[in-house]
Amino acid sequence: MNSKERVMAVINHQKPDRMPCFGANCMVTYEQMEAAQAFWPKGHEDGETMARLALASHTVLGFDAVRVPFCQTFEARALGIKIKPGKLPGNMEGIPGIDHPPLYKLDDTPVFPDDFLSRGFIPELLKAVRILKKELGDEVPVIAGIIGPFTLAGSLIDTVPLLKATFKAPDKIRPWLEIGEKAGTALAKALIDAGADIICCEDMTASPELIAPKTYKELELEFQTKQFDAISVPTILHICGKVDPIVEWMAQTGPNILSLDTKTKPHIVREKCGPDVVLLGGVDVATTLFLHGPDEVKREAEEAIADGIQILAPGCAVGPGTPTENLLAMLQVAKGH
Amino acid sequence: MEKAEYMEKAAQHIVDADEEAVEKLAREYLIEGFDPIEMIEKGLSEGIRKLGVLFDRGEIFLPHLIIASEAMTTAVKILEQAMPADQVGKKLAKVVIGTIEGDVHDIGKGIVATMLRVYGFEVFDLGRDVPIATFVEKAKEIGADVVGSSALMTTTMVGQKALEKALKDAGLRDNLITMLGGAATTEHWAAKIGANFWAESAGDTVMKLKEIFS
Repeated sequence: MNSKERVMAVINHQKPDRMPCFGANCMVTYEQMEAAQAFWPKGHEDGETMARLALASHTVLGFDAVRVPFCQTFEARALGIKIKPGKLPGNMEGIPGIDHPPLYKLDDTPVFPDDFLSRGFIPELLKAVRILKKELGDEVPVIAGIIGPFTLAGSLIDTVPLLKATFKAPDKIRPWLEIGEKAGTALAKALIDAGADIICCEDMTASPELIAPKTYKELELEFQTKQFDAISVPTILHICGKVDPIVEWMAQTGPNILSLDTKTKPHIVREKCGPDVVLLGGVDVATTLFLHGPDEVKREAEEAIADGIQILAPGCAVGPGTPTENLLAMLQVAKGH
Repeated sequence: MEKAEYMEKAAQHIVDADEEAVEKLAREYLIEGFDPIEMIEKGLSEGIRKLGVLFDRGEIFLPHLIIASEAMTTAVKILEQAMPADQVGKKLAKVVIGTIEGDVHDIGKGIVATMLRVYGFEVFDLGRDVPIATFVEKAKEIGADVVGSSALMTTTMVGQKALEKALKDAGLRDNLITMLGGAATTEHWAAKIGANFWAESAGDTVMKLKEIFS
């Protein structure tokens, strides 16, 4: 089987020749940038550089998928939000983020621009997907990322006012979730037209570590379901942190794959969500992959697989300083299953 | 109303995150001529303590905690206006706190700052996305006893290591305590980069600093 057949087999509940290994979130590291001679910040803004860098997760690591983009700012920038460049201490390059103050206040009316898909760096992202598709064909799946309604709402009015509104005036959040859903879905459709095989929706702010599970159930569930209903290719839903209290509803929104942080245990997710959803995850990014060595990586990966993980992956976006050998150790474990 | 009843109500309003009610209660309490410090220590703090327990048990969530801590800050400000100047100024230690450059998340850090103020520390909150040099300058300027940094991402936690070095280079490190926290960090990381301690939560931060400074 090639990588795409392997990944599709798991999604279709057929037996793959071995377990696939890839991340649902950004997999880029400084070592891959060197190997691909494609660097940030250009890799965030220029389609060709972005594609070259994304390819490294397959050519350098041997992972079973490539993934763009590497940050969470594409929809927000196109909606008019100010973005901060990804400068890190020591003049290292990181990922761009949402700047402050926010564009809107809770009581404002959000505006969805007609030319959304040609704004900001979205055209470059679409170009990267077209290049990757041309390069990889049906050999390796191309994953393209969008941002979930709740997280985009937080980019528009700022996270703290959004969280406060969930407690004080939950109904006022709906217009923000509507525009967030609309933006992510529009981007997803364009990414699919450009050749994306899988859409991954990251919805960090919808984590129970930030909002009450009740808020997920009463508000986000509806908008995330609407979004996945409108997407014609296989989907992944990623929410960071320990998602036990909401994971049942996450599965109800209709993704093919749930991407799990290592704080969430696979067997608990299986119990709560039933047999249909595929579980991706396994190795902690902040400690195990970033700070420890291949032996710890392998041990944690084996434990996660024994606990029900079906696609071996980093539990979230990989820290760019992560050593290649640790990522290769993951693939080695996947090859044994 | 008896003083004890004021204490109970103050704690309950904090647990309910009812800012208007606690503000009104604090004003009435002062009109009665009771000791403002007592309401902070026995009423409001008890509410925050209860909330911490509920939060740890997963019975309440972050939005509730944010609003409760704002209610607490409002009430403390009202009560402080009635305190003698020497009591307001008496602080356990000076704490500089901020979120590392590149990281724009600071909800948790804001709660830590509020809690530390409530428990008698003088807090200089530098906000989010703070350059290392700013931490060092502020620590030097105010003669900080503690420098706390938060990192939520694997990309920014390396900044905490840079902060340790910058404090050393500035000759400040031996005279202060460094603490760190944030979703990406662990006790292992704190030990690895030579920070004095890691705190898991706002409550944990208060507990560990109080052990050192009271």
